[in-house]
Amino acid sequence: MSGEAAAVELRATAPPAWGASLGRWLWLGPLLLTMLLPFVWMATISLAPRSGGSFARAAAGPWDLSSYRALFASAHLGRYLLNSAAVATAVVLLNVATAATVGYVLGRRRVPGEKLWTLGIVATLMLPKQVLMVPLYLVMARLHLLDTYAALVLPFAVDAFSIFLVRQYVLGLPIELEEAARVDGASDWAIFRAVVLPLMKPVLAVVAIQSFLTNWNSFLFPLIFVDSDRLRTLPVGLALLSQTEHSVDWSFLMAGSTVASLPVLAVFLLFQRHILSGLLAGAEK
Amino acid sequence: MPRATSWAFLSPWVLAFGLFGLYPFAFSLFASFTDYSPVRAEGARFVGLANYARALHDPAFWSALGNTAFFVVGTIPLTTALALALALAVQPAFRGRSLFRTGFFLPSVVSVVVLSLVFKGLYAPNGSLNGLLAALHLPTPAWLLDPDTALPAIMAMDVWSASGYYMVIFLAGLEAIPRDLYDAARLEGATARDQLVHITLPLLRPTLLFVLVVNTIRSLQIFAEVFVMTRGGPLHRTTTVVYYLYEQAFYRFDLGYASALAYLLFVLTLALAWLQMRAVGRPAEASA
Repeated sequence: MSGEAAAVELRATAPPAWGASLGRWLWLGPLLLTMLLPFVWMATISLAPRSGGSFARAAAGPWDLSSYRALFASAHLGRYLLNSAAVATAVVLLNVATAATVGYVLGRRRVPGEKLWTLGIVATLMLPKQVLMVPLYLVMARLHLLDTYAALVLPFAVDAFSIFLVRQYVLGLPIELEEAARVDGASDWAIFRAVVLPLMKPVLAVVAIQSFLTNWNSFLFPLIFVDSDRLRTLPVGLALLSQTEHSVDWSFLMAGSTVASLPVLAVFLLFQRHILSGLLAGAEK
Repeated sequence: MPRATSWAFLSPWVLAFGLFGLYPFAFSLFASFTDYSPVRAEGARFVGLANYARALHDPAFWSALGNTAFFVVGTIPLTTALALALALAVQPAFRGRSLFRTGFFLPSVVSVVVLSLVFKGLYAPNGSLNGLLAALHLPTPAWLLDPDTALPAIMAMDVWSASGYYMVIFLAGLEAIPRDLYDAARLEGATARDQLVHITLPLLRPTLLFVLVVNTIRSLQIFAEVFVMTRGGPLHRTTTVVYYLYEQAFYRFDLGYASALAYLLFVLTLALAWLQMRAVGRPAEASA
């Protein structure tokens, strides 16, 4: 199905004239507006520091960036942002590296019990992670990793979905190049680095993007694994901030929400095609 | 490839699966038979099935189950219907199609915490939504502060944010249906409605099944929305199973009981997924 999946966005058909498309715009337009208005609300409130969360007052202006200035000046929010960036970078790099090697051996069926390992991966995919919230917490406590950066990175460094994507991709790669390199006397590691890795670039890009989106937005585990304010990531920091403040500063919160959304929105708009193909590969399982 | 290299390549998964998969899974099964709590001085005692019996007699747990069931039953038909309608609408070529596809999917990439904060603002008693309703002379409930409207308000946000995601999955299913089936049907004089009922919907069955199973499993885990918007209130009317589990584990530190609840949720998740596969399943015959 992956051929068709890729074609979702790619199928080249000349679009009909604007007039013929009007009917669809009439009923899809209001729906699209409903989808986007909450984001417009978020951005507008963030720009109007004294609106008190009222859209009418915020839309009337005046607009300025003082909530954003306050955000970056606040020791907390700046720290949350850095934490999110550092954790996401570490998780993405580890995810790509481990998905590449594990997905490759499983895809080439080069390991004893390959079927069993793959079954374990598919089972992990099906199991919602929240079910493991208490058990994982107990494991992290036993490893003395609670309230450390390691708790935010290690449990997410190897991801079943990423491995599965790479495995499926490797199944479709021709093996001849690797065999030719082996005949030439190249070592396994050299073959992997020089022959296989360049071929895997497209799927590794999908893995990187997917794991960035998931990790940047991750909430439950960073909430329970970390207690110290200085280790909080942006979603956790924002959620707790909205509840500890006595009177909610909506403009400040929405500035934080906008900053938390911009990286994922940018990644989404830049790499839409990769994201959808990863999503559809998941639907095939 | 020699065995040693293969194992070296596989080792990250072996480690992760063992340490963060099998071990916690087994350890918490063990914990669910004890009264383990890190805040008590004495160690864990074996209590047999007492935690499971307690869950069955815990009105708060049943109420959380009821809220979760209400959430699932209320959102999934709406989300599925909306996602399918959107997919059918944005599948054929028209001007601005990619704008709609992108726009509908947009909420799926944004953090649930951010979405929840935005909707908390929109739902405020004197917030923008009520401003709009008042202008239209419609009733203006207190939404998240009213026990009767709080859960439906969170559900509305879920339908809003999830539909675009499942739209894309339906689109993939639609694109996989061979074009020539439609060409042949048109030659036979089939109307657009005939084609939808006799070609599109039957062939979409595997996709429909996938969407239902995935969305059910996801909906049973609703947590961040509740944490940010209501903290389970008012009057525990928005306490979902996972939020209740979180409270038992991380406010009461009753980890033995929480482990038992987690196992019950796991079994429930599997059972519902299996039921749906039975009910909507038979994809092989359906597409043959």
